[in-house]
Amino acid sequence: MPLLEIQNLKVHFPVQPRLFGRAKEFVRAVDDVSFCIAPGETVGLVGESGCGKTTLGRAVIKLIEPTAGRIVFEGEDIAGLTGAQLRARRRRFQMIFQDPFGSLDPRRTVSDSIGEALDIHRLASDAKARRQRIDALLKNVGLDPSHASRLPHEFSGGQRQRIGIARALAVEPKLIVCDEPVSALDVSVQAQIINLLQDLQREHGIAYLFVAHDLAVVKHISRRILVMYLGRIVESGEAKEVCRSPKHPYTQALLSAVPVVDPDSKRQRILLAGDVPSPIHPPGGCPFHPRCPVAEARCKTEVPTLRELEPGRQAACHLAT
Amino acid sequence: MPLLEIKNLQIEFGSGASSVRAVDGISVSLEAGKTLCLVGESGSGKSVTALSIAKLVPSPPARYVGGEILLEGRDVLKMSSRELRDIRGGLVSYVFQEPGASLNPVFRIGAQIKESLKYHRPAVANDVEVVRLLKLVGIPAPESRLRNYPHEMSGGMQQRVMIAMALASQPKLLVADEPTTALDVTIQAQIIELLGDLRQKLGMAVLLITHNLGIVGDLADDVAVMYAGQIVEHGPVREVLQRPLHPYTQALIRSVPDLEAEVERLTAIPGAVPLLGSFPDGCRFHPRCPKAQSSCSAQAPELASVQSGRRVRCPLWESPAVNRSSTLHA
Ligand SMILES: Nc1ncnc2c1ncn2[C@@H]1O[C@H](COP(=O)(O)OP(=O)(O)OP(=O)(O)O)[C@@H](O)[C@H]1O
Ligand SMILES: Nc1ncnc2c1ncn2[C@@H]1O[C@H](COP(=O)(O)OP(=O)(O)O)[C@@H](O)[C@H]1O
Ligand code: SF4
Ligand code: SF4
Ligand SMILES: [Mg+2]
Ligand SMILES: [Mg+2]
Repeated sequence: MPLLEIQNLKVHFPVQPRLFGRAKEFVRAVDDVSFCIAPGETVGLVGESGCGKTTLGRAVIKLIEPTAGRIVFEGEDIAGLTGAQLRARRRRFQMIFQDPFGSLDPRRTVSDSIGEALDIHRLASDAKARRQRIDALLKNVGLDPSHASRLPHEFSGGQRQRIGIARALAVEPKLIVCDEPVSALDVSVQAQIINLLQDLQREHGIAYLFVAHDLAVVKHISRRILVMYLGRIVESGEAKEVCRSPKHPYTQALLSAVPVVDPDSKRQRILLAGDVPSPIHPPGGCPFHPRCPVAEARCKTEVPTLRELEPGRQAACHLAT
Repeated sequence: MPLLEIKNLQIEFGSGASSVRAVDGISVSLEAGKTLCLVGESGSGKSVTALSIAKLVPSPPARYVGGEILLEGRDVLKMSSRELRDIRGGLVSYVFQEPGASLNPVFRIGAQIKESLKYHRPAVANDVEVVRLLKLVGIPAPESRLRNYPHEMSGGMQQRVMIAMALASQPKLLVADEPTTALDVTIQAQIIELLGDLRQKLGMAVLLITHNLGIVGDLADDVAVMYAGQIVEHGPVREVLQRPLHPYTQALIRSVPDLEAEVERLTAIPGAVPLLGSFPDGCRFHPRCPKAQSSCSAQAPELASVQSGRRVRCPLWESPAVNRSSTLHA
């Protein structure tokens, strides 16, 4: 049984219409998305800015109310749950954020930030157990327990990200949604955090939904990859396979744009024309057609569905085989 | 004579006992039409170095405590404010990371570019020239964009407008400080392509600042790697990226995940980038250096010329322990 099964998830945000009397419009930030995460597995989510990655990640763990769809966590649909029922299940899924600065309260010590999670879920019987647990968590993420009484600003970006991870770990979650956890870090520190996340996964069997815009990072950490465009999944499959032979022209372009250090790299860059279109008025037919280098006439009118090409491999393109 | 020659530049912030040196003895030169890339992680002093070329680091708090910045042979640090005004956005133009922050939100983009033309090339301060510049930077249907406000454009388009504005004065040197850092990889690829094209077409020199080693190879002729306010390695781009000599360059290259490689575990550099004011003694990289020896914490190494056109700040660069795994994908 998958740990998490997302079925036809939609998140639509209402936007102010520009003219009075105009019908109410929506940003289709997440539009009919389905996927599964197995226990202890990492699923990567990539796509350009604004394509809906954060919204999807937050909706999956109910930090945003989905407009429609099912969120089946350990066999139970949590999409409609609210209040105490939802709170009781919150322990099982956590989130870490891109900006470790923004996600930690600047006035609270590290020990308070981590302890808060323990308190909410009553995970420490007394003060001594609480302190021991915090020390163990700090050690687990590679921080010195003697720094527990320090404030966030006394730590570097990488250390702050470790604090965020310790806080998420405190409640022993089954799933952590990682929203660009290394994007704001120095290159030399990025690898430390990625290695830490992998170690913790091995130790505790946690599953990750790992959001990033750097495909090389995503490929490294993920077993499977979801490629998102304008709120929809346009390709999914084994990480290695998707990177070795991308089926969707968008994935091909994304891959070709990944910067490579070796100046003699043979990779041919596919330059996409223009920007991501507005998600309020997405193009008709294939939403990617205005930028697609191989679009055909039918792409302007016929919407490609996400089809299974081979077992475990899907793409939403008329031409994909 | 090189277009730009920076000699032993030293810049400090603060004063007295609390003064800290952000740029410590940088020397580089750039020939007309060539591209030099400064790479380094946050806080290594890239932006301060780049801004100093037109004396744009405000002083105070900055103090230019030593060195020379020769632009076509004239020392920028000795120029009058009138002379500085002329070279800023004239001989030297800048493009920054956040296009939104450099464009004025309340003026239409056509008017902003025209403003720059009025100062540096008044004879052509007209719509025709603005349209030509917008076309040059690849903005589709430029005539229809003149009356747009910056917020009506995407980040990638804004960056193109910034570049058009920088080109208005026909600069000989374009300084681009992390011009693609705020953009998606797809848009980054477009902007890198554009900068490469423009350099060819216009024959201007480019100083590209980035923390992303992956875009260096696409544009640079030479690359200088910075760490804690100093250059630690400098040389022709292909040589440095394929056969890095300094342990920091080697470690930095290895910590970038490679799409083509299959590795279980990434090679991380332990510790964190040191903060300004608390640079370690001896070699500033020694607490994190996988190859450090006891001598490294005692003696601060010089940036020494080794091989043709290459400089390295590590006396042990030739020792087998340092050199063994120095090639790409080792
Ligand atoms: N609360 C909201 N109200 C209205 N629109 C929203 C809201 N939150 C997000 N959106 C819109 O939904 C779309 C998806 O946003 P989201 O933040 O999920 O993108 P993302 O893929 O995470 O982008 P990035 O890479 O920039 O983080 C965007 O068009 C965004 O403007
Ligand atoms: N106005 C300023 N006052 C004090 N310190 C500064 C100022 N500007 C930059 N610095 C410091 O100088 C160092 C180098 O900065 P910078 O050149 O911006 O680094 P980079 O561009 O390589 O990330 C950093 O430690 C930074 O905090
Ligand atoms: S369906 Fe057509 S436009 Fe869409 S990705 Fe495939 S070829 Fe391109
Ligand atoms: S001098 Fe020593 S510490 Fe510094 S880079 Fe060379 S080997 Fe490493
Ligand atoms: Mg996001
Ligand atoms: Mg900078």
